[in-house]
Amino acid sequence: MASLLDALVTGLVYGGVYALLALGLTLQYGVARILNLAYGDFLIAAAVFATLLYQHYQLSPLVSLVLVAPISFLVHLLVYHLVFVQLERRSGSWRAMEASSILLAFGLSFVVSGAMLAIFGGKLFSYSYLLVPVHILGSVVPANRLLAFVLALVFGGIAYLLLVRTRIGTAIRAIAVDPDGAPLAGIDVRRWAGITFAFGGIICAAGGVLISMFQTFNVPMGVSFTLKALVVVIMGGVGNAVGALVAGLILGVTESFVARYVSPGLTLAAVYGLFVLAVLTMRTGILGRALR
Amino acid sequence: MMASIARTAALPLLLLLAALVPFSNNDFYVALGVSLLMYATLATAWGVFAGPTKYISLATAAFFGVGAYTVGLFYEKIPMLLLYPLAAIIGAVLAAFVGLTTLRIQGMYFTIFTFGLAELIRQFMTWYQRNVSGSVGVYILTDISARQIYWSLLVLLALTLLGSWLLSRSRWGLALLMIGEDELAARHSGVRTTAVKVIALAVTSAVIAVVGAIVAPRWTYLDPNIAFNPTLSFMRAVIALLGGMQRFWGPLAGAIPLVILFDQLNARYPTSYTLILGLLFMVIVFVLPDGILGLLPKLQRLRAPAAPAVTPAPGAGTLSEPVTPAAPARQASPGVDGTSGVVTTAPATGTTLLAVRDLRKTFGGIVAVDGLSFEIREGEVFGIIGPNGSGKTTVLNLISGVYEPDRGEIVFLGRPITGKPPEEIARLGIARTFQLVRIYPALTCLDHVIPAALFGGHARTLMEARDHAVHILEELGMGAFLHVPAGQLNFIDQKRLELARALALRPKLLLLDEWLAGLNPSEMVIGMELIESLRGRGMTIVLIEHLMQAVRRLCDRCIVMSFGQKIAEGVPEDVLRDPEVVRVYLGEADDA
Repeated sequence: MASLLDALVTGLVYGGVYALLALGLTLQYGVARILNLAYGDFLIAAAVFATLLYQHYQLSPLVSLVLVAPISFLVHLLVYHLVFVQLERRSGSWRAMEASSILLAFGLSFVVSGAMLAIFGGKLFSYSYLLVPVHILGSVVPANRLLAFVLALVFGGIAYLLLVRTRIGTAIRAIAVDPDGAPLAGIDVRRWAGITFAFGGIICAAGGVLISMFQTFNVPMGVSFTLKALVVVIMGGVGNAVGALVAGLILGVTESFVARYVSPGLTLAAVYGLFVLAVLTMRTGILGRALR
Repeated sequence: MMASIARTAALPLLLLLAALVPFSNNDFYVALGVSLLMYATLATAWGVFAGPTKYISLATAAFFGVGAYTVGLFYEKIPMLLLYPLAAIIGAVLAAFVGLTTLRIQGMYFTIFTFGLAELIRQFMTWYQRNVSGSVGVYILTDISARQIYWSLLVLLALTLLGSWLLSRSRWGLALLMIGEDELAARHSGVRTTAVKVIALAVTSAVIAVVGAIVAPRWTYLDPNIAFNPTLSFMRAVIALLGGMQRFWGPLAGAIPLVILFDQLNARYPTSYTLILGLLFMVIVFVLPDGILGLLPKLQRLRAPAAPAVTPAPGAGTLSEPVTPAAPARQASPGVDGTSGVVTTAPATGTTLLAVRDLRKTFGGIVAVDGLSFEIREGEVFGIIGPNGSGKTTVLNLISGVYEPDRGEIVFLGRPITGKPPEEIARLGIARTFQLVRIYPALTCLDHVIPAALFGGHARTLMEARDHAVHILEELGMGAFLHVPAGQLNFIDQKRLELARALALRPKLLLLDEWLAGLNPSEMVIGMELIESLRGRGMTIVLIEHLMQAVRRLCDRCIVMSFGQKIAEGVPEDVLRDPEVVRVYLGEADDA
C-alpha cells in the first residue's frame, strides 16, 4: 500500500512538470505553428545551466529560474525570426513549408544537443538541493520534488491566466484560432507569434530547471522529453491548457506505475501506449477544445 | 532523343561500373562504397514517400535497426537468404502499424510518432535483452565478406531505383503527388488516400529494414545503441535534402559528397560531429531548398533566357465557344465519354437518385443542419438556396462524405452511404466541385483529370484514363490547356478544370458548390450554358447558388434553407414568391 502511494505521488509530481512542459510546447505549436522538435534539447540546456551554477557558485535553482527566463526568451525569439521566419518567406505552398519547418526543427535539435555533446559528452548531471523528506498522504517525498511540482502548477497557472485574462492573451488565442483572420482585428501576427514562441521557450527553460532539481539527466535525454511533451499535447488537445494538465498527470502516473510494477526500461513504451490510445480514440483531446 | 537515351543508359552503366569496385582489392574503397550505397538506398527509399506526400518520417533508424536485429537474433537459426525477406516483412508490418495508427488522420501525428520510434524500440530491445535473453548485445559471426555486403547493397539500390522510377510513372505515383498537394481533393477524385499512404510507407520501410539486415554482419557485435542510432535518421534526411528530395538522381547526388564528408568529420572531429552535421543541415535547408539538382534547371534557364513561358493567351479560353454536347465525338469513343455513365433515359423520370432523411449536423453549439429531408430525382437539376450561413455547403459536405452526420440518413441509388469516406462516395458516382476552387497549382490540367478517371472512373490503364481526360477537357473547351499548370489558368478555367475533374469520375450525380460565383457577366452566360448542356445529356445536378437568375433558369426544383432547416420546396418560381423565403432573404417588414 505504501509503495502504491509512493508511485502515485511520484507520478503526480512528474505529471505536474510534464503538464507545464506541454503548455510551452502547445503554445509554440498552436500559435507559432512550429513543431519544435528541439524543445527537449533546449530544456536540457536550461537544466545544465542550473546545475553548473549550483555546482560552481552554489546558486539556488530558484535564482537560476530568474536568470534563465530572459535568456531563453531572447534565444527563442532569435531562433524564430532568424530561422523559421526566413524559411517561411522562401517556401511556396503551406504543406512544403510545414515539411521543411519540421526538418529544420529536427536539424535544430541536432545543433543544440550536438553543441552540448561536444562540451559535456554523455556525462550525467545531478545535484542535491532541498533533499529533505516531507511526509505527505502517508508517503515520503523529497522536498525538492514537492517544490518543483508546486512551482510547475504556479507557472502553468500564471501562463493560463495571462492567456485567458489579458488583451495580449486574447490576441494570441485569436492567432491560434485563425492566423489569417487575426490581422483583420489589428493583430501583428508575425510579432506576436514570435513572442509566443519565445514565451513557450521560457516555460521550456523553467521546466528544465525544475527537472534539474530532482532528476539525474544527461544530454541525450532531450529526445524523450520532447516526446513526452508532444504526447501530453496530443492527449490534452492542441491549445488546451486544462487538457494538458490532466494529460500530464495521467502520463506521469502511468509512467511511475510502469516503472515500479513492470520495468523501468519500459516507460517509453507506456508513453507510446498512451499516444496510440489518444490518437485512436480522440481527435481533439480528452477535454475537447476548451482554451479556444 | 539522344539525350533521353543517354539518360536511360546512364544508370545501368553507373551501376555496372560500381559493381566492379570490389575487384580493386582496396578495402578502403569497398568500405566507403558500402557506406555510400547504404545511405543512397536509405535516402532514396525515404524520398519516395516523403518527397511527393510531404509526410516526414523521422524513423529510418527504427526500421534499419529492426532489420539489423532480425539478423542479429536469428542468423544462427535461419539461413541468411531467408532473413532478408523476414526483415522486410517485419519492417513492413511495423510501418503498417505506424501508418494505420497515425496516417488515417491528417496532421502532425505521423511525424511525432516516428520521431520517438527509434528510441522506443531501442529501449524495448535493451529491456528485452536484459530481462529475457540475459545480455545487452549480440555477436554476429558470419562469413559474409565486405564485398558480398557491397554487392547485395548494390542490387538493393538498383531495385529501389527501379521501383522509384516505375512508381513515378504509375497511377500510384500520381496519387502520392496529389496527397502531398491537397489530400481532400485527392479523396474526392476517388483516391483511397489512407491505403496509398500506408502501402507506400510499408514498402519503403521494408527496403530500409533490408538495408539494416544486409549491413548487420559488418558489426561483429550489435547492441541497441548501434542499431538504433538516431543520427542515421538525420543523415539520410541531410542526404536526401542535399540531393533534392523530389528528384530521381537526388539521393545519389547527395550521398557521394556527404558520405565522404561524414567519413572525414567522424575521423577528425568525433566530439563535434553531431553539431557540425546539424549546422550543415540547416545551411542546406536555407541555401539549397531544392537540393543540388534543383540548381540544374536554374542554370539551364540562365543559359537559355528566351524560353517561352507557357501562359494562356488572354481570353483564349475564357470566352471560347460555349460548350455544346459533341455528339459525334461521343459516338466515336463511347467507352471513354465523360457522360456515358449517366443514365440515358429522359430527364425527370421520377426515380429517386438520392434521398436525404432527417439530416442533422452540429459544430460545437452551432446547429449547421437540422432535420433536413429531401429527395432528388434522376435527371433533374436540384437547387439548394438560402442566405449565407444557412448550411448549404454543410449539406454538400455531408453528402460527399467530408463530414459524418450526427443523425439522419443519406441513401444513394437505394444504398445507404451515410458516414462513408469521400473516396468511396466518389467511386459510387457522386462528384463535386468546391466553393473555393481546390486545384494543384503546380500540376498540369491533364494531371488533374487523369487520376479522377483512373481512381474513381472506370479507366483501366493510364492510357485509357489519359484519353478520357483529354476528351473531357476538350469537350469543356480546354483543349489548349492540357499541359498548362493549373496555377496559370484564369478563374473560369480553373472552375472548368474542377468540373472536368468531377466529370472524369463519370458521376451519376454532380454537386456544384456555387460554381457560378465570382464569374463576370459574360462568363456567367457561358457557365449557365455549360450546365444546361450537362442537363441536356441527362446528368442529375445539385446546384448550390446565390444567383436567383441562375436558379430560375437552371433548376427544375429547389429547396430554401435558413438556419439549417428547410423552409420551402418546389418549383423555383413558386418558391421564390413564398412570403417566408422573401422574409428570410430581405428581412422582416418594418412594423413601425
